[in-house]
Amino acid sequence: MALALIVPGIAPLVAEEGKTPVAGDPSAWNAVPPERPAAVVVRGATIWTSGPQGVLDGADLLVVDGVIKAVGTDLKAPADALVIDGAGKHVSAGIIDAHSHSAIVGDVNEATHVATPEVRIENLIDAESINIYRQLAGGVTTVNLLHGSANAIGGQNAVIKLRWGAGPRELLFAEAPAGVKFALGENPKQSNWGDDNQRFPQTRQGVEEAIDERFRAALDYRRAWRDYEAAKDPQRVPPRRDLQLEAMLEMLDGKRLIHSHSYRHDEILMLLDLMASYGIRIATFQHVLEGYKVADELARHGAGASTFSDWWAYKYEVIDAIPWNGAIMWDRGVVVSYNSDSDELARHLNLEAAKAVRYGGVPPAEALKFVTLNPARQLHVDRWVGSLEPGKHADFVLWSGSPLSTRSIVLQTWVDGRKYFDRQADLAGRAVLAEERRKLIAEVEASGSGEGGDQEGKDDDGAGGRQQAEDEPPPPPAAQGREVQR
Amino acid sequence: MKQPTSIPAGAARMALLLGLLALPAAAETVAYVGATVHPVSGPPIDGGVMVVEDGVIRAVGAGLAVPEGAEVVELNGLHLYPGFVHPLSALGLIEIGSVRGTRDLGEVGDNNAALRAEVAWNADSLLLPVAAAGGVLTAHVAPQGGTFAGSSAVMRLDGWNWHDMTLAAPAGMHLAYPQLLSGGDDEDFEEKTKRALETINATFDDARAYRKAKDAGTPVDRDADLEALLPVLDGSLPLYVHAEEKSQIESALDWAAEQGFDNLVLVTTSDARYVAERLAKENVPVVLNGVLRLPRRRWEPYDAAYVAARVLHEAGVRFAIGDGDGGFAAANARNLPFHAAMAAAFGLPEDVALRSVTLTAAEILGVADRVGSLDPGKEATFFAATGDPLEITTRIERTWIRGRELDPEDNHQWRLYQRYNARPRAEEPPP
Repeated sequence: MALALIVPGIAPLVAEEGKTPVAGDPSAWNAVPPERPAAVVVRGATIWTSGPQGVLDGADLLVVDGVIKAVGTDLKAPADALVIDGAGKHVSAGIIDAHSHSAIVGDVNEATHVATPEVRIENLIDAESINIYRQLAGGVTTVNLLHGSANAIGGQNAVIKLRWGAGPRELLFAEAPAGVKFALGENPKQSNWGDDNQRFPQTRQGVEEAIDERFRAALDYRRAWRDYEAAKDPQRVPPRRDLQLEAMLEMLDGKRLIHSHSYRHDEILMLLDLMASYGIRIATFQHVLEGYKVADELARHGAGASTFSDWWAYKYEVIDAIPWNGAIMWDRGVVVSYNSDSDELARHLNLEAAKAVRYGGVPPAEALKFVTLNPARQLHVDRWVGSLEPGKHADFVLWSGSPLSTRSIVLQTWVDGRKYFDRQADLAGRAVLAEERRKLIAEVEASGSGEGGDQEGKDDDGAGGRQQAEDEPPPPPAAQGREVQR
Repeated sequence: MKQPTSIPAGAARMALLLGLLALPAAAETVAYVGATVHPVSGPPIDGGVMVVEDGVIRAVGAGLAVPEGAEVVELNGLHLYPGFVHPLSALGLIEIGSVRGTRDLGEVGDNNAALRAEVAWNADSLLLPVAAAGGVLTAHVAPQGGTFAGSSAVMRLDGWNWHDMTLAAPAGMHLAYPQLLSGGDDEDFEEKTKRALETINATFDDARAYRKAKDAGTPVDRDADLEALLPVLDGSLPLYVHAEEKSQIESALDWAAEQGFDNLVLVTTSDARYVAERLAKENVPVVLNGVLRLPRRRWEPYDAAYVAARVLHEAGVRFAIGDGDGGFAAANARNLPFHAAMAAAFGLPEDVALRSVTLTAAEILGVADRVGSLDPGKEATFFAATGDPLEITTRIERTWIRGRELDPEDNHQWRLYQRYNARPRAEEPPP
C-alpha cells in the first residue's frame, strides 16, 4: 500500500514516536498545537493597533497567557517572556476575513430550496483544508465561513479561528454569535443557471417575497406554539418542530446575524426596508458593490458593508461596481470591510486594504481596519479580536514591513498567544519534507508499484491552477455544488 | 505616517485641467519636465525632461533644453514610467463574463488557427479605460478556444477602432498543449491525449504539405487554418505554447524540438520553476501567467506561485509576468503590476519585477521597438505616478498613449464615482 502514501491529501507518514512534527507540514493532523508561552513581548516594532492608540513607532506589544496585556513603549515584561525583536518590523492585529468558503467540506450551496437556514456550516468544517495554513501564512487569524448564494435565505455560517491542527469543533470561534447567509439578485433568482431552472424566484421582486414569506411563516409558527402552550391541553398535538422556522425566529429575536449577499442598490434598499419592517438590523451586506449609491441609507440602518476592493464586470449586476465603493461608504459612516471570497485573495487581504488608500484616500490606519477591526465589528466579535488592545485575544501578525506595502511579507502569525505560522520554521521544514518525499518516492519506485500513482496535477482542495473559481463561463447547474457563485 | 492627499479634490482639479490639455491632439512637440523619469532601460533620471514629437519620444535626459515652441507640461514631484505592457489578457474580447453576447474569447472547434484576435477587439469596451487608468496601456490579447486557438495581437488601449489600436498582429499563434495528467477518472484520458498529440502533429504535417504544394506551384484550395500556420513553420511567427503542469511543459519542449520550432513562448504558471534550468538552456521565454495564485498542489510550499518568478530569474530565464488572463482578470487588468510586486516581495529583484511588466514583456511580444521603455524612437505611451507604481498606495495621476493624454472622465467607473461621491448627504446623522 505504499502507493497511497504519495497521494496528496493522504497523510504521508504516521508520525514517528517522539518525532517533532515539521513546521509547514501540509497535513493538519500531524500538527500539534504550538505551545503558548506564558508571556510574549514584541520589542521596538511599528505597531498598527487598529485601536484608539493608532499606529505607534518603536513600540512594544505584551502578551500574557494568550491575552494582550499592553501596547506601548518600554513595557515591563515578565523575566521569562519570549522576546521578539521587532526592530524594523511591523505588527498588526490578525487579519479577519468576513467572507470565505475556504475550509468547508463538499458543497458550499444547499441549492435545492429557496430557504435553507436550517443547514449549518459548523457541521462541515474542513479542519484539514490546506487553506487554513496558507492563509495563516498571509496573516489571517479569523474567518467567517459562509454558504454560497444560491438561495435567498441560505444556511448558518460559522466563524472560526485558524488554529491549524485543531479539529473542526476546536476551530470554532466560541464567542462569536450565530449568523445566517442571505442572498439577493442574480444568484438566488438563478440568472446564470441555464434555461431549465424554474425554481421560484426568478426576479428580484420574487426574492423579496421569498424572504418575506419565511418571516411570516416563522411568526405563524411562533403563534402556533404559543397557542399550544397557552392551551395547556394534554390532548392537543404540539406543532411539528421546524428547525428552519426556528432559525428565522432567532433572526427576528436578534440572536442570529444576517449576512446578505447583494450587489445592486435597489435590492439593498429593498432588504433594508423589509428587515426594518420586522425590526431587524442587518449585520452585513456582503459584496454590496453598489453600496456607494446608498451609503447614507446603509449608515442610517447600521448595516456593515463587507465588500470586494475592486472586483467588477464579471456579471451584469456588477457593471456599476467601482473601486471607490469602500471609501465612499467609509466616508459616510458605514463600517466597511474588504473580504476575499477566494482562497487566494485571502492570503493578501492586507493589500486589499491598501486599495482603500489608493482609491479614495482613506488614511492608512483606517484602511487597515478594513481587514482587522471592521470585520470584527461586523461579526460582533470585536470584544475579543480585531485590534491590539488590552484584554483582547493575542491574535497578531509580525510583518517584514508596512502591512500596506506590496513588498512586505508575513514573518509570524499568532492566534490566542500561540505561534501558528513562522516563516523561518516553514523554510527550515521544507528541506525535511522534501527529503521525506524523496525517500517515499524512492521506496515506491523500488517496490515497483508506482504505476498510475502520480496524481500531481490534481490539487485535492479543488483549487488546481485556476486563480478564480468564478471565471466565466458560469458553471452549468450540475457543477454548482462546489463552485462558489459570486 | 505620510497621509496621501485625497483623490477627489485633486483629481477633480486635474480633470478640469486635462479637458484643456487634451484638446490639441498630438501634432506638436511637448516637453514633460520636472518629473523623475524612469526609462526602465536605464537608471531613473531625477528632474528629467522627456521630449515628445507627434506622439513619438525624441529625447529623454537630465537638463535637456526644451525645444523652441514646445508645449511644456510640468510634472513636478511625479514619476514617469512607460505604460505597463500586459503580456496576455482577454481585454477587448470580453465585457461581462456571464453575458454570452459579450464574450468573444472562446471559439468552438479544435483548429481555429485562422482566427485573429484583433478583429473582435471592442474599442469601446468599458474595461479599457479602467485598465488604462491603472497604467496598463498596451495589451497582448489572444483567443482561447480549441487546440489551435488562433493568432493574438498586441493592442494599444486608446484609439478609434481596432485598426489604429493594433500595435502588432499577428503577434503569435496559440497552441493549447494537451494535458498529460488526468485530473479525474476519465478512463479514456490517455487515449484522448495521444489522439490530441497526433492531431497536432498531423496538422503541422498538413501545413508542411500545403506549403510544399504552394511552393511547387501546385493548385491547392486555400485553407485559412493551414495558411495561418505557415509563419509558424518558417519561424517568423512565435508559437505560444500554453502548458501549465510540469510534465506537460517538458513534453511540450520535447515536442517543439522534434518539430524544429525554436521561436517559442511558453505560457505557464508556477510549475515553470521545476523546469527553469531547461527553459534557460533552451532560451525559451515565458509568460508567467499570474503570480497571485495558489500552489498547484497541496504539499507545495505556500509561496510556490509567489517565488516562481525569482526561480526563473535566477536560472536566467527571460519572462513577462501576467495576471492569469480570462474574463475575470480582464476586468482587473489594472492589478497586473501587483503580481510583479508579489514576486518582488518574495525575492525577485526590483528592477526585474518592473521590467517583467514593461520592457521584457514588450521584448517577448516583439514590440520593444515601440513600447516598454522611455527611449527615443518609441511611442510616447507612459504614465505619471505619485511614486513606485508597484505599490498599491501609489496613485497613477495621468496617462498618455502615443502622446495623447487620456481623459479621466472617459471612464465608466470614474464617472460613477464623481456622481455618487457628490450625492447630497442625508440630513439625519447615522446612529
